[in-house]
Amino acid sequence: MTLSDTLIELRDVDFSRGDRPIFRDLNLTIRSGEVTAIMGPSGTGKTTLLQLITRQLSPDSGQVFVAGDDIARYGISELYRMRQRMGMLFQNGALLTDMSVFENVAFPLREHTKLGERLIRNVVLLKLQAVGLRGAAGLMPSELSGGMARRVALARAIVMDPALLIYDEPFVGLDPISMGVIAKLIRQLNDALGITSIVVSHDVKEIGEVADYSYVIADGKVAASGRPAQLRNEPSELVRQFMLGLADGPVAFHYDAPDIEEQFIGSKPD
Amino acid sequence: MQQTRTIELGTGLFALLGIGALFFLTTQTTGKNDFSVADTYQVTARFDNVGSLKPRAPVSMSGVTIGRVTDISFDSNALEAVVTFVIDSEYDQIPDDSDASILTAGLLGSQYIGLTAGGSPLYLEDGSEILFTQSAILLENIIGKFLISGPSSDEDGEDD
Amino acid sequence: MFHDIWKTFLGFLQGFGAMSLFFLRLLQYTPAVLVTRFRLVFYQVYNAGALSIVIIMVCGLFVGGVLGLQAYSNLERFNAEDTTGIFAGFALIKEIGPVITALLFAGRAGTALASEIGLMKATDQLSAMEMMAVDPLRYVAVPRFLGGVISVPLLTAIFTTIGLLGSHLVAVELLGVDVGAYWQQLQNALDMEDVMEGIYKSITFGIIASLLAVWEGYNSVPTAEGVGRATTRTVVITAIAVLIFDFMITAWIL
Repeated sequence: MTLSDTLIELRDVDFSRGDRPIFRDLNLTIRSGEVTAIMGPSGTGKTTLLQLITRQLSPDSGQVFVAGDDIARYGISELYRMRQRMGMLFQNGALLTDMSVFENVAFPLREHTKLGERLIRNVVLLKLQAVGLRGAAGLMPSELSGGMARRVALARAIVMDPALLIYDEPFVGLDPISMGVIAKLIRQLNDALGITSIVVSHDVKEIGEVADYSYVIADGKVAASGRPAQLRNEPSELVRQFMLGLADGPVAFHYDAPDIEEQFIGSKPD
Repeated sequence: MQQTRTIELGTGLFALLGIGALFFLTTQTTGKNDFSVADTYQVTARFDNVGSLKPRAPVSMSGVTIGRVTDISFDSNALEAVVTFVIDSEYDQIPDDSDASILTAGLLGSQYIGLTAGGSPLYLEDGSEILFTQSAILLENIIGKFLISGPSSDEDGEDD
Repeated sequence: MFHDIWKTFLGFLQGFGAMSLFFLRLLQYTPAVLVTRFRLVFYQVYNAGALSIVIIMVCGLFVGGVLGLQAYSNLERFNAEDTTGIFAGFALIKEIGPVITALLFAGRAGTALASEIGLMKATDQLSAMEMMAVDPLRYVAVPRFLGGVISVPLLTAIFTTIGLLGSHLVAVELLGVDVGAYWQQLQNALDMEDVMEGIYKSITFGIIASLLAVWEGYNSVPTAEGVGRATTRTVVITAIAVLIFDFMITAWIL
């Protein structure tokens, strides 16, 4: 991938699941070399956005550009070549359960390279060292804690030296220590490897510490974007509600319901 | 590595058992071994009625199996059934005026061809036709006749 | 009402079409998988086949035994107990062996396959493979499918052989049928075509049971409930499909 300023661009993307529209005219750019956060309330399609970028899903209309190429035009082999340059960290790690930690990290190497056994061993242990789990190489995924599994998955995501790392909700369900570890790793890997990172999360505080640039997505559109400091001063009520974690606001506390008087007291007297 | 060993041993045992069982089923449960001589000669015979005779039915002489039916077809010109069977080349001295009849093994058993020796000095050879045949005795025909005319010594379906 | 039936029919047709395409893709990848990923296929033969040996053997022994018992007690009335072997042999080789093995396979290995694949889907392992540029169809689905296709005919042969042994034990050792008469009658009555019919059936059932298990797992809703439903559907649909195909093959051969 060339080192242009913009690595990924979504242009006028529309996408619906069944009858439910997820995105309408979504425009978004991700600059190379930065950690970009994508935030938003639950159910706004943040994971869907990642699937559009990696072409696990295709938009109904609009285009997705990666390194200047419209990925809808890719054939299957080009698509797979593109994905080899991307590493993705899934919510719960998505380690392959029938092989050890070592084999999990070695899996992409065994599939895509013809490296010798010694070299594979060195590369795998090096990547495990980077996430601090060299000692866990012999364990099976079922023996790992949630945070450890995610770090192993991170080692697997960087084993092919990708140009882009994608994190899907990396902080969900972790204790504060593990959260801190992951946040530190996101920043470190981005700077040390000189790569681009996309982090999807709704953990405003954690992500605020590591992100260079943030997007807040709501109602199928970009509601706000900017540096973390800018976002905190954003005038939009919805963004304020989200950033400050207020219970009620534009995203209503109450699910749509019939009139309260009508339901509790019975039909209103005329 | 211990695990790999278990998997390999287990799969090996499984394949061995499975192939052994297949071998057993294909060789030990069929009647194929009864008569599987490569060296045979072919003879035909015509019958008015073959009853429920089937291909692979035995051909026997004096109670010894000497051949097998290979094909049963219908000649639409002569309106007769044509039965083709092979006889082991070992038995090459069967008179060519021998008589072929379709018999039933026991009351409800399957049908087979019985040969009764004639007196001719010439022997059956590859491609010969047996001229004296006796059709299958159909139980329902006998019962039918019995009901109409009482017991009778009349044989059913004498040919030629 | 009529509209509902029409919609159900269309849904069924669509599902059937999707499964047929899935089957064709499995077949398309089969040669490459056999060459380059034979170890995975080998492991699945162990998983689906070798681990089912015990249940197949126990069931075969008892099914054979009960056939021997039933055949004997009925044939005895006609003084034809010598033909017990024919009865048990025909039933086992042509019908009961292939059918019961396929049903046991669906219950033992089919459910395991469906839930394993469903769980891999629910935990994003399949998506992760796609993101690592590894086609999960080749890596997960095809080896499991082939493992089943190879295993079922072998399991059927084992089941049938043990079943014959079971009926032999009951008829000969327990009820006193002459051992020579038992086997001679069986061998005289059975042709190679009869054995081949059983083998054709077992191959067909192996393809059906493996395809359905892999398909249900691959298309399960990725939740705990969805995986549970996929395993149930695997057993039910396999049983129905196997019995329908059994009838069709028998009608076609006879």
